[in-house]
Amino acid sequence: MKINSFLSCKLMVLIFILSGCSSNNIITSETKDPFEKLNRKIFNFNKKIDQKIVAPIGSAYEENIPAAARNAIGSHLDWVDTPSTIFNSTIQMDLKNTILSSAKFMLNGLTLGFYDLDKGETAIKKKDFGSTLAKFNVPEGPFLMVPILGPKMTRDFTGTIWNKYIMTNVSSDSLNNLTLLETPLETIDTRSKISKTIDNIYESPDPYVKLRSYYIQNRRNKVYGKNYVDFKNNKSDEEFEKLLE
Amino acid sequence: MLISKTINLTKSLKNYWNKIKDFFLIVLLFVLLLPLPNQVFAEELEKSNQLIEEMIIKSKKHAIETLELNKEERSQKITPLIRQYVNLDFMARATTGSFWSKANDEQQLRYKDALLHQIVNTVEEHLNTLATLTYTPLNSEFRGKKIIYIRGKIEDKSKNNPPINLLWKLAKSQNETMSIIDLEIEGISLVTSHKSEVMSILRKNKGDFDYLIERLNIKK
Repeated sequence: MKINSFLSCKLMVLIFILSGCSSNNIITSETKDPFEKLNRKIFNFNKKIDQKIVAPIGSAYEENIPAAARNAIGSHLDWVDTPSTIFNSTIQMDLKNTILSSAKFMLNGLTLGFYDLDKGETAIKKKDFGSTLAKFNVPEGPFLMVPILGPKMTRDFTGTIWNKYIMTNVSSDSLNNLTLLETPLETIDTRSKISKTIDNIYESPDPYVKLRSYYIQNRRNKVYGKNYVDFKNNKSDEEFEKLLE
Repeated sequence: MLISKTINLTKSLKNYWNKIKDFFLIVLLFVLLLPLPNQVFAEELEKSNQLIEEMIIKSKKHAIETLELNKEERSQKITPLIRQYVNLDFMARATTGSFWSKANDEQQLRYKDALLHQIVNTVEEHLNTLATLTYTPLNSEFRGKKIIYIRGKIEDKSKNNPPINLLWKLAKSQNETMSIIDLEIEGISLVTSHKSEVMSILRKNKGDFDYLIERLNIKK
């Protein structure tokens, strides 16, 4: 246990150093990818695992489980993930999100999250430790392709590990066991939900670059919200206006 | 003395009156002219909104009418629809950056053709899903002098899937008609992601357009 903690601390320090490799500007060049060679190898490995194991299970899941049951499972998986949102919203001092997510977590706890009693009326922003680090101006760092886990920015990878570590310590044992059991289910559920997007990525001329672009745009939208959207739109408007002249 | 004072007062009053008159004239002119550009902008926005809704209706109709056809026949049928609404010339230039000017006319034409096929394939893959969804326009705005943003969302009536936010970017093409220059799905820009891919291939192959077109066509 002590060795594990020591190793994870060392890993955090290393990842933080890597995060520091980039500028603090929220919008760095999307194509900045110092580990591209290694990332491409890991991408090919992940793709093989996905095509041979995850995708077939995902499509079988989609074909054999009725939509209502899949929705219930998806809703339950969101519920299991809510303590992380509550915790990170608190650190980020997002009072509204903390209160709303806590209330929703307690309300849906009556059905173990399998049925959304709120019927999606309360909009909650999902927050993880990566977004908390972003809130405290930790740079996003280079793009990484992590074996099995897939694409991550260095900061978000740190966040994922910390999130797991912190949530293991603050959550009850039963919830932790449940989360552990449900990780494979979450992978399959997510894969079935985004199967068309993944097929579209695999069919593109450079699937690695397409995945990287989709991931970075999506992640920045989630982490920086309106700030990033405004910045990105202004930049693209400028570029487009020049082309239209 | 009194007379000269009165004359001076009258003069200054006249001056004041003239100034007030000028001011009100300017205000009146401003008030009268202000709605003109606003009206033009509003009309342009309205037209753009209609264009998107019209395109969605036509796409849905196409999806239903071509259900029995095979993929190739369906693609052939939707190609004119995409040509009508998408500014291919703009997209080709936007996705190739500075490399565009280095390509010859023939390469530029072939690239546009390959790009069109890519768009057709992507649309084709999602067409059946689109037929079951409903589109709701949200808002629209002018961005600068030439670009219009149209925001909307597509929703699943059965609520099995979460709503998807769309942002259409439109601009006037050379023949003065509005056309789509980019589409963002849940904040992911199609032009940006396609540009990343294209630029990565071009940079690694010293701007070889023939190789790029070959790569794009393999995946047709």
